[in-house]
Amino acid sequence: MTPIFICLSILLPLAGGFAVLLADVKDDHRRNVLVQVISCITSVLVWLAILSGGRAPFTVYSFTRGFEIGFLPDGMAMLFAGLVSVMWPVVNLYAFEYMEHADRRTSFFGFFTMTYGITLGVAFSGNLVTMYVFFEMLTLVTIPLVAHYQDHESLYAGRQYAMYTIGGAALAFIAVIMATVSGQAGAFLYGGSLNAGLDRQLMLIVYLFGFFGFGTKAAIFPLHSWLPTAGVAPTPVTALLHAVAVVNSGVFAVTRFTWFVYGPEILRGTWAQTVCLLFISFTIVFAAAQALRQRHFKRRLAFSTVSNLSYMMFGILVLTPAGLLAGLAHLLFHGIIKICLFMCAGSFMHVTGKKYIFELTGVGRKMPWTFGMYTIGAFSLTGIPLFCGFISKWRLIWAGIDAAFPASYIGVVALIAGAFLCAMYTLTISVRAFFPIQGTGRFEGEAVGDAGWRILVSIGIFTAFDIAFGLFPGPVMSFLGSIAQGLI
Amino acid sequence: MLIAFLVFFPVLMAFVSYVLGKKSEDRRDIFVIIVCFIELGAVLCLPRFLPVFDIDGILITGLHFMTDGFRCAYAIITAIMWAGTSLFSREYFKHEREGLNHYWFFVLVTLGATEGVMLSADLVTAFVCFEILSFTSFTWVIHEETPSAVRAGYTYLFIAVIGGLVLFMGLAMIYFTVGTLTFSELSAAVAASDRQGVILAGAICILVGFGCKAGMYPVHIWLPKAHPVAPSPASALLSGILTKVGVYGILMTSVTAMTGNMTFGLIVLILGLITMFLGAVLALFSVNLKRTLACSSMSQIGFILTGIGSYLLISGMGAYEAVHHEAHAGIALALSGTVLHMTNHSLIKLVLFMAAGVVIMNLHTLTLDDIRGWGRNKTALKIAFALGALGISGVPLFNGYISKTMLHEGIVHAYEIAEEMAKLCVGPAGMGDLAIFLKIAEWIFLVSGGCTFGYMLKLFICIFLEKNADPARQAAFDADSRCMNLASTIAICGSSVFMVVLGVPAVMKNLAFYMAGEDHILEFEAFIWVNLKGGLISLGIGAAIYLLIVRHVLYRNGSYVNLWPAWLDLEDLLYRPMITKWLPGLMGTVAAVFGENKVSGPAAAAFFKGWQSLAALFGEDKVLIPAAKGGFIAWSAVLRFFNNSLDYLIVFMRRTVIREVRPPRVRETAIKRMRAATGEVMRPIISNFSWALLMTCGGILIILCAILIALL
Repeated sequence: MTPIFICLSILLPLAGGFAVLLADVKDDHRRNVLVQVISCITSVLVWLAILSGGRAPFTVYSFTRGFEIGFLPDGMAMLFAGLVSVMWPVVNLYAFEYMEHADRRTSFFGFFTMTYGITLGVAFSGNLVTMYVFFEMLTLVTIPLVAHYQDHESLYAGRQYAMYTIGGAALAFIAVIMATVSGQAGAFLYGGSLNAGLDRQLMLIVYLFGFFGFGTKAAIFPLHSWLPTAGVAPTPVTALLHAVAVVNSGVFAVTRFTWFVYGPEILRGTWAQTVCLLFISFTIVFAAAQALRQRHFKRRLAFSTVSNLSYMMFGILVLTPAGLLAGLAHLLFHGIIKICLFMCAGSFMHVTGKKYIFELTGVGRKMPWTFGMYTIGAFSLTGIPLFCGFISKWRLIWAGIDAAFPASYIGVVALIAGAFLCAMYTLTISVRAFFPIQGTGRFEGEAVGDAGWRILVSIGIFTAFDIAFGLFPGPVMSFLGSIAQGLI
Repeated sequence: MLIAFLVFFPVLMAFVSYVLGKKSEDRRDIFVIIVCFIELGAVLCLPRFLPVFDIDGILITGLHFMTDGFRCAYAIITAIMWAGTSLFSREYFKHEREGLNHYWFFVLVTLGATEGVMLSADLVTAFVCFEILSFTSFTWVIHEETPSAVRAGYTYLFIAVIGGLVLFMGLAMIYFTVGTLTFSELSAAVAASDRQGVILAGAICILVGFGCKAGMYPVHIWLPKAHPVAPSPASALLSGILTKVGVYGILMTSVTAMTGNMTFGLIVLILGLITMFLGAVLALFSVNLKRTLACSSMSQIGFILTGIGSYLLISGMGAYEAVHHEAHAGIALALSGTVLHMTNHSLIKLVLFMAAGVVIMNLHTLTLDDIRGWGRNKTALKIAFALGALGISGVPLFNGYISKTMLHEGIVHAYEIAEEMAKLCVGPAGMGDLAIFLKIAEWIFLVSGGCTFGYMLKLFICIFLEKNADPARQAAFDADSRCMNLASTIAICGSSVFMVVLGVPAVMKNLAFYMAGEDHILEFEAFIWVNLKGGLISLGIGAAIYLLIVRHVLYRNGSYVNLWPAWLDLEDLLYRPMITKWLPGLMGTVAAVFGENKVSGPAAAAFFKGWQSLAALFGEDKVLIPAAKGGFIAWSAVLRFFNNSLDYLIVFMRRTVIREVRPPRVRETAIKRMRAATGEVMRPIISNFSWALLMTCGGILIILCAILIALL
């Protein structure tokens, strides 16, 4: 049954989104119900696929040898698909309220729903070619979402986004072809599926192509600047796509490419690994320092995402199971935290119409729930115990120290520096919101309050996850541990 | 279970007080006082030795609590501090009770977290509680919301964050090297490990991390700024207990993981000496009552760190057989001095900061010139402040004397042992140098002790003995001898009784034995000449400092002046520019190179301009340029022709060969109809070249459908 569930879960949102686009339902309420029903059924299908227990790869169509559309419902796939499937209906709920007064709502929800299916496609794909196809589609389907507002800035952002990610995918394409022809058709096997006896140096150069190509979506320096620019998109898009779905697809693809195609043995201790780790370490500090310079609320958070994506990549590129575990844990936890932060930022922008950080002085007293949950997210992202960000950071540092080679120590120092800067750029916002210097509060006597229940509930759900995983990380960690050991 | 009660009861009650405060502020205040006293009662019932209390399964390794003499004593002191300040707060906050709901909420949460640290059985538990209290106490610093309070708040917050992270890293390094962070297992595990370098690095991280809260140099910068701006009851807690939380961490790491490590000991000792001396000098220069007390706190933390440093050095040297016996006595002195001085300083600062609170409550200013002469007729306050001052200055018969003497004797013992080892040529090289260094350390210790006496004299004489420079103001001061209500009087005078009670050597010795568990200390004689000598030298230096420096240099034309240069501030000179300017500037430059900041654009423009001027050099003859222009025009015409030739061809063919062929009308209207139907939907697709996407999706959709049908 698993193959059918997976195919359906990919198809349904694609078809559904297409239908929403074409049918062009004018009545908001009916369209919202339709979109939410599609998303919920898809999520149910994903969970059925996860719980039905089939772990075998399967091919749905073979064009020719080495070019197959195939899926693989292993632990990695379940992790990513499970994460996305929980988030999508919740973000939909948020988007219904957020997009109430926006233009072109049909187009928005149509493409948004289609993105769901394609993200699941990336998650479940069973070989490099399939993953590459879905990866490319993900770029294309999200461009209209980035450029949604159709003003000058948005169109520019859309164009930049397209240039970066399509260019990156082109780079990755070289690696995909090389890996496909020199291994077992690019199939995903824990520990690598390349043939023995290849020209090692050539393969390392090809690895760098793949790393930076797939890494473009994970915003690795110097290919990062599309992500902050894309912050002009509507908040549900920045929250779900640019904090979780799209960027995590990048990290996910790098993980697949590194651990399941190349395998850690080929890469461990090579110059390619060192180069990647140095770029990663630099990105962590660089993006965090850049975030500190930003005055625009969402742009600051976007730079923070750039920094945190490199945290995950650090864990993965350390090339030990402990590192993989840490990287995947951060992938999961950062998704939860960052979506929450973006939603709070969006809620603030939605209620007040303001965008900049200096404009939110004193707003915390007016929107206590929103900014209370924002503060929890900020603590979590910094790595304060009781919240889930601490758990993954602890594991990442463990992985770095455990691996014990120079580049990994540099990475650990970068992690700590990044965490400190992270506290500066997130907590200053909380302080400004809750403790304005006397007489500078901007919202005295104005009728500003927390947003409606749909926004608050969706933020609250993620905050609850944040605290729950922070206090009781045991079950999740053992699940991730068995993924990292290649057991499921 | 009692431990769990101590930790979680205040946290739960914090929520209750918040809810209660929404209804009635008066009831909430009384409720908080009752909670603090219940906590005090419960902590007094705490038995000295309890089995480890575990809460497994949460966080990374679970939470573990335990008790022993030191932990019990400090749990009690914590509860006393909270009870005293909560009693005092009722009057202090008389005029601003509305905004206090969150203040009390965080006060109670901090109480729970502090008890958690004090009773922790492993470093992870300590760390978790430490982080909680770091952030909850932040709200105290920023409470007043004045510009200086907000600035101090930011400083406090960032030092807390950086401390937390460095500590986190230190813990991780030790945990992943030796595999445990439980205090009782650490010393054996560290001794068995072969990666001593990593462990030392980890321990230094822990030192800096806890040092951030303790106010250790060079991360002391928040301390002199945060204390003056916080409400006085909160300052008392910040100075009396929260700095001790940091010291607790350093002490616990020193006596378990790092015991006998002389390198670590030397680092702690040097940082302790700098903190001690710098704090004392800053306090001497300050002209603000609470800032003086804050700098004094920093200096006293330095004394405590010095004790820890000499303990580490002696225990390291004690590993050699030749000096084994002497080392034993030295360890007892240094360790007992450390824990006793912690105790003394907590209680003394409780009294002094509450006294400062009385001043600010009545006068709303803390500048020495303004409050001069105010206390001349306030007898109760005068006595309480005098007791605190005598205690902290180390005057014989009061509590500070005994602990300071023990610390001093600890350093002297270390010096003697080092000299002995240098003579006998045992132990590592450089023992002679160490002995010289310890001799210098002893004198720094005595001079800092003297400074303590000097600045306390300055404060006491200024507030309680001198007359104000403005006679009218003095008359107003003299007219009113009431300064506080009964509850506050009880809180302040009750706390000051400790100065006298703990001044009795027998009490102190037993307390030291109870806390540190070293039986050698019971043989300590406080009032023999050897021990009195150090104290008296120190007091002599203090009197000299007061008469020579304070009266002549820092007191000019009838007012106290601040001669400390304003620019000489580590935070403004180094830390703030580093984080707010240099690092983002550097990163901004990197970003600019990659085209984010419109630098590459102008750079390209400048490049072209340079190229043009280079061309102009050759174009003086007015021939080359027109010729080139003509060439370009011709060339572009050719290009345009080739570019458009296909179009010309098509137009030509349309008009001649394929004129008759036209697309069928029906299809055209179908497309038109579809575009009209989807109108709004299609615009973003077309304008964003996602047409291809729709085709791709459609194609894949069809393929997948076909596959699905085949599968089913």
